[in-house]
Amino acid sequence: MNQMATGFENHIGYYDPAVQELIVIDEVLSTMVGVEGHYILIKTLRGKKDDIINFLVDPSMDLALQELAKRIFPLCKSFLLINQFVESRSQFQNGLVNHAFSAALRAFLLDYQAMVAQLEHQFRLGRLSLQGLWFYCQPMMRSMQALSTVIQKASVNNISGSAVLNLLQSQAKAMAGDNAVRLLLEKMTQCASSAYMSILERWVYEGVIDDPYGEFFIAEDKSLQKESLTQDYEAKYWRQRYSLKDGIPSFLANIAGTILTTGKYLNVMRECGHNVQVPPSEKSKLMSFGSNHHYLECIKAAYNFASGELVNLIKEKYDLTGKLRSIKHYLLLDQGDFLVHFMDIARDELGKKPDEVSVEKLQSLLDLALRTTAAAVDPYHEGLTCIVERSSLLKRLGTFNVTEVSQIDSSNNDILEEPVSITGLETFSLSYKVHWPLSIVLSRKALTKYQLIFRFLFHCKHVDRQLCGAWQTHQGVRALNTRGTAISRSSLLCRSMLKFINSLLHYLTFEVIEPNWHMMYSRLQSANSIDEVIQHHDFFLDKCLRECLLLLPELLKKVERLKSMCLQYAAATQWLISSSIVLHSPNESIVDSIKAKQGKSGQVLKSTTRNAAVTDSILKFEKEFNTELQSLGSILSSSSQAEPYLAHLAQWVLGVKHEQNGL
Amino acid sequence: MPREIITLQVGQCGNQIGMEFWKQLCSEHGISKDGILEDFATQGGDRKDVFFYQADDQHYIPRALLIDLEPRVINGIQNSDYRNLYNHENIFVSDHGGGAGNNWASGYHQGKNVEEDIMDMIDREADGSDSLEGFVLCHSIAGGTGSGMGSYLLETLNDRYSKKLVQTYSVFPNQMETSDVVVQPYNSLLTLKRLTLNADCVVVLDNTALNRIAVERLHLSNPTFAQTNSLVSTVMSASTTTLRYPGYMNNDLVGLLASLIPTPRCHFLMTGYTPLTVERQANVIRKTTVLDVMRRLLQAKNIMVSSYARTKDASQAKYISILNIIQGEVDPTQVHESLQRIRERKLVNFIEWGPASIQVALSRKSPYVQTAHRVSGLMLASHTSIRHLFSKCLSQYEKLRRKQAFLDNYRKFPMFADNDLSEFDESRDIIESLVDEYKACESPDYIKWGMEDPNNMLTGEGNAAGSLDPKSVV
Repeated sequence: MNQMATGFENHIGYYDPAVQELIVIDEVLSTMVGVEGHYILIKTLRGKKDDIINFLVDPSMDLALQELAKRIFPLCKSFLLINQFVESRSQFQNGLVNHAFSAALRAFLLDYQAMVAQLEHQFRLGRLSLQGLWFYCQPMMRSMQALSTVIQKASVNNISGSAVLNLLQSQAKAMAGDNAVRLLLEKMTQCASSAYMSILERWVYEGVIDDPYGEFFIAEDKSLQKESLTQDYEAKYWRQRYSLKDGIPSFLANIAGTILTTGKYLNVMRECGHNVQVPPSEKSKLMSFGSNHHYLECIKAAYNFASGELVNLIKEKYDLTGKLRSIKHYLLLDQGDFLVHFMDIARDELGKKPDEVSVEKLQSLLDLALRTTAAAVDPYHEGLTCIVERSSLLKRLGTFNVTEVSQIDSSNNDILEEPVSITGLETFSLSYKVHWPLSIVLSRKALTKYQLIFRFLFHCKHVDRQLCGAWQTHQGVRALNTRGTAISRSSLLCRSMLKFINSLLHYLTFEVIEPNWHMMYSRLQSANSIDEVIQHHDFFLDKCLRECLLLLPELLKKVERLKSMCLQYAAATQWLISSSIVLHSPNESIVDSIKAKQGKSGQVLKSTTRNAAVTDSILKFEKEFNTELQSLGSILSSSSQAEPYLAHLAQWVLGVKHEQNGL
Repeated sequence: MPREIITLQVGQCGNQIGMEFWKQLCSEHGISKDGILEDFATQGGDRKDVFFYQADDQHYIPRALLIDLEPRVINGIQNSDYRNLYNHENIFVSDHGGGAGNNWASGYHQGKNVEEDIMDMIDREADGSDSLEGFVLCHSIAGGTGSGMGSYLLETLNDRYSKKLVQTYSVFPNQMETSDVVVQPYNSLLTLKRLTLNADCVVVLDNTALNRIAVERLHLSNPTFAQTNSLVSTVMSASTTTLRYPGYMNNDLVGLLASLIPTPRCHFLMTGYTPLTVERQANVIRKTTVLDVMRRLLQAKNIMVSSYARTKDASQAKYISILNIIQGEVDPTQVHESLQRIRERKLVNFIEWGPASIQVALSRKSPYVQTAHRVSGLMLASHTSIRHLFSKCLSQYEKLRRKQAFLDNYRKFPMFADNDLSEFDESRDIIESLVDEYKACESPDYIKWGMEDPNNMLTGEGNAAGSLDPKSVV
């Protein structure tokens, strides 16, 4: 035909309309595949964003034919646009979604081209009129139109990745009335998302991000190393190593969080050297997603598998509960006999100034204490290490509160006042070696909280020990008649102090730690995912910190003051007692028939005496202690409205009488 | 192996209850009659080393000294299944084997004569421990050996190991039956003096109450010594659980005792235990919650010291301190609720001159001993009504002394030679002052006790300080 046309004049109008029709059909058919003819020309104007395509028709053409031809031009235009889009998007930098979309379009264009070829064949057989052509193009027309709308929108914003998928989906939805078009768009969506789904598949089934073009909605921050969990207090590894980006495909938006954690869990297991994959039976169907939302079930199944597997791994292979129990033995003193021995043998070392204490020596003493007590059978005791911190607990808590950004009040400043002389006893702490993957749960932050509780308990134990020593000193003078002397007064003060410190320890252990631990333990048994485990564990620690008064600086300061009074008193006991006793040499003629008779010969005889200085200082201790205790009591009672657990402590510390009189 | 405790079992009764104690400990720790750790006893987490040490062949040997002046009971032990358990070097039987004839003075005197032998044994045991915490003495106060020789040992230990704790489990004679030991009041009084002056803590085991418990609680019509002794061993082993199964608190003896004993002389403790069973008795399984256990521990019928007080006095009696050791599967959240309930119901009458409350220690239970009940509890308490037991001892002594009865047996020994009976008078004074002190504890003004002396400057200042009047504590 074309050959025929070349010899003629440029105007089609010279021909008879019937001939014109044949020429037009021929030209339209070639225009439909993007080839311009003599009488129908394709003019492309380069626009700012995209090209504007116009079709110029020889004006001499029969008007009826012109009219019909023009009706078919949009199809041609769509073809050109789509073809152009396919060409441009197939370049590698446009990403997998665009590639897949282009491929799908190309396949579609092949269908289209096949149709054109069919029509051309019909034309050659002389069976095709322009009307017929118009008729046969009808079904294709709408589809091509819809697709060109999509690609136009896509090219205007030059989108890629999930945005393309979202666009396709929203268009499919917009075209819901036109079944054929909708099906086509859905098919396109499915094709275009297949590459995306395989990224997703590797993530939810293997925990691997295989995303060369950065289209996936989960980002990996490789700068966050898992080792940071055990070192960095503010380690972000668990929360931020993998995170959600913008541009989550709308069909995954609701389940994005689940997808993130699924892969994260698989990743943890991979990092542990377990090549866990979701069993094939469960993964088969993810790709064939459609309106039936089957993919959602697949993702959920994968999530259940991954979280179950990981929790099992952490609990069984890495024995999380065993470790937690072990930490409870040592840092929460649930099996406190090792500490008794440790404090016996490390007494001298701990009495030194913090910077003079040898951590190595303490460590070897600790190992000795652990080996010779009930801890010996616990294989995990080896993770325990000694630390000597730089500051006292109060000061440490001051900074802790700041980092926690929890109620810092004006009293914060005077908290930071360091006691004049602190020793290893105030700064000693234990640490526990935790390895990946348990460090996810027992992070540096969690361990720090354990340590704060430990330091508090440890110092209370120290005070208790000193008071027990004072008690024993009193026991030593039992043979003397102490009635009415300062000694008997002193022994009652010693009792009050012991009662205080025991009540405090009692409250901390049996009222706070034990019940809360118990609760956490049973929750952990039923936890289905590691995030639940972390949540329960953190909740436990925070509750303990709070109920152990460690977040209440005002109360804690009172308690510390009482403790330091106890220590001062305990340190003075030896002097107080010995100053109240007069020694008589056996030659002296004091008639003390008891001693003289029972006397092993040569024994120095003793009797009590009244010593004003001693009495004064005992009464002074007594007064100060009782005043302070009372003021603690009233603070406890008044704060117990807001913090009900303080009522428990008040009951312990003040005993029964308080209740009968006060409440 | 830190904080070891050496047990001295002296005399017939001491050796019998000691024997039961070791039986109980062996079964709780999974140690066989020969001292070999049973195959099933692999759980660990317990502290066998407080009461045992291991020989070169790994078998466990009790840190125990078996001392008697007559061979019958010790021979019995040596012919029993447990003969290989003890270290034979630790068994002391007097050469002549004649006993002490239920005479305190004889026991005391013989103790003095064999001091060197026994102290050698004690020193050897003490040297064998890393950081000895103290001694436990098991004896009765009525007979001759346990009371007399026990008294001598108490004095010697106090002298030689002044820094170590001495705790005794002292069996007081049955006051309801006429004893075949007519001089029992003398023996008791003289021993009580040593218990007051030379022990850090005395756990009073009153045979009257033990018998009553056996009859009433265990429904045994005629309880044997073995049966009452098994009650004693139950108490002894339960009171040491916090040392053997370490927990948050009370992991050493001093911590355990210091919180219970208010003043140096008021160191006599009562015990209660529930639920009670004896061997071979199929007990009815009862409901055992923490509250049930705590409540039952406060009932007089479960307490192993009889109350000799008249009703009026009894209403004045007060608890100075209480430690409940709860063993078994306990939901820790129950503890607070139970204490709260007891507080609300005002089931406990505490002293008024200082803070007081029930302390609780939760302890594990031996996994190797099967019991029908989930929870069991031991109460260790300092209670002022104990003074009535001492008063009873005093009055029985006075009765006998007034008649000048049986004193000749005592005059034969150096302490009472030349008709010098001042030891009796002095003992009487000390016990009387002990009774007074316990009585004073019942008053809210105890803190000022003995300070009313006008020459005493304490009175005025005490009031000025004024801080210890509990009424003013809000």
